[in-house]
Amino acid sequence: MTTGAMRDEWYPVGLRSKVDAGGQQTMLMGEQIRLRETPGGAVAVETADGRALPVVVGHGHVWTSLGQPTRPLFAIPEADQPGRRLVEVGVVRVRCSPLRAVENFLDIAHFPFVHTDILGAEPHTEVERYEVEIREKEDEVWATKVRFYQPQAAKSASGGITTDYMYRVPAPTCSVLYKTCPARPGEWDVITLFVQPLTEELCDVWPWMALYDDVTPMTDLIHFQQMIFLQDRSILENQIPRRLPLDPGMEIPTRADLTSVAYRRWLKRHNYTYGAQLVAQ
Amino acid sequence: MPVALSSDIPPATVIPLQTPSGPMALWRSASGRLSMSADRCPHRGMRLSHGFVRGEALSCIYHGWSYSQDGHCLRIPAHPDLEPPAAIRVATATVCETGGVVWLALAQTESQPPRFSHHTPLRSLAFAAAPTAILVALNGRASADGSMQGELAGLSVILLCAPQPDGTSMVHVLAPSDATLEERLAISSATEALRRTAETALATEAAA
Repeated sequence: MTTGAMRDEWYPVGLRSKVDAGGQQTMLMGEQIRLRETPGGAVAVETADGRALPVVVGHGHVWTSLGQPTRPLFAIPEADQPGRRLVEVGVVRVRCSPLRAVENFLDIAHFPFVHTDILGAEPHTEVERYEVEIREKEDEVWATKVRFYQPQAAKSASGGITTDYMYRVPAPTCSVLYKTCPARPGEWDVITLFVQPLTEELCDVWPWMALYDDVTPMTDLIHFQQMIFLQDRSILENQIPRRLPLDPGMEIPTRADLTSVAYRRWLKRHNYTYGAQLVAQ
Repeated sequence: MPVALSSDIPPATVIPLQTPSGPMALWRSASGRLSMSADRCPHRGMRLSHGFVRGEALSCIYHGWSYSQDGHCLRIPAHPDLEPPAAIRVATATVCETGGVVWLALAQTESQPPRFSHHTPLRSLAFAAAPTAILVALNGRASADGSMQGELAGLSVILLCAPQPDGTSMVHVLAPSDATLEERLAISSATEALRRTAETALATEAAA
């Protein structure tokens, strides 16, 4: 098993708020690692054989890497705006490729069938044309002008609305979604999916949100997002093959899948193949 | 080979099956027509056996792509006005039903599956044992048509064993057509006892 170019990227390995001096054990790309809070209040991460790994704390989580990241952790400037509630959703373990978990997050066409009567409902199944690009300067995948009819777009939404979306892939196993904010028109709610690759076919998913919502109890916000993701898990654990096919031929994309097509192309271009299936295999 | 009992696949349902040609989805349309297709939607690889049957089509649960009985994609809900290209299809297999049993044709064949004039289907059970071990445990006879005959609870039974890729067997039990409810329940219990026997190492060794 080779970790390839993805070895030098940052990965979420736990919620910062949950790491204490007692420490906790987890796994990253097949290697056992240990997180603990140091007496000085920082977080240290090391491998089973005692190698200290690079650490950064951001977006509510602890991030580390088995390699040597050449870039700082990506920023989410919108999440820093005052007045937002930061929601630590926790973790969902999924028996799937970390790349399949991200691809599913980028997909809207499944809403009426997987998140029925919440994020979508028949007969409102059409995916209108939207725009996708790989932004060369930032080296990120972006999908914009995505629109979809949703019966209950968010916990704070009281009825059906057509929701505007923007998707961003700033790292191979992370995506940031900007979504119409029902409570504050004109602003975007930020919903992220941070995926920790445990192995090529097993991952821990850490959803995290920065919302304008002063009303909904925190527990309800967390339950809403966990419900959505558990619905996704029933899909993700039943796709064949388990790894994401990066070469054309195994799966059939349509115009609604342009974000996924760009994501796969971007992964392949960077040799981000941990959790991918290539023709040669 | 026998793959299911007709009563276990009512109209507008789909079930997963393991077959020598890989995982398959067996489904019955609203009007009662039975079909079998590969258990993988070519769009994103989702298992079609998790999907749903509406009318005469099988739909994938992931994005609602629907397929006809001959495997052609009929509809892509994300693009309601698009006529799906003919190239989008799932592989299908030939199935037929006789006497309440669903049979899969493993190859192009003119021959008809066996009929059992004095027996009717009772239930299906998975055995963690090969057919040879099951025959030994039953102390029964193997017929040329692949069925096994023996006695359970003092009554004549026919077992149809479908070997699975993982070494286990799916066993379809046929009871005498004139058996009373009590007798059918007794055969059902005896089949579970048979399973315990067949799954023990002794029976496996005897078969080997």
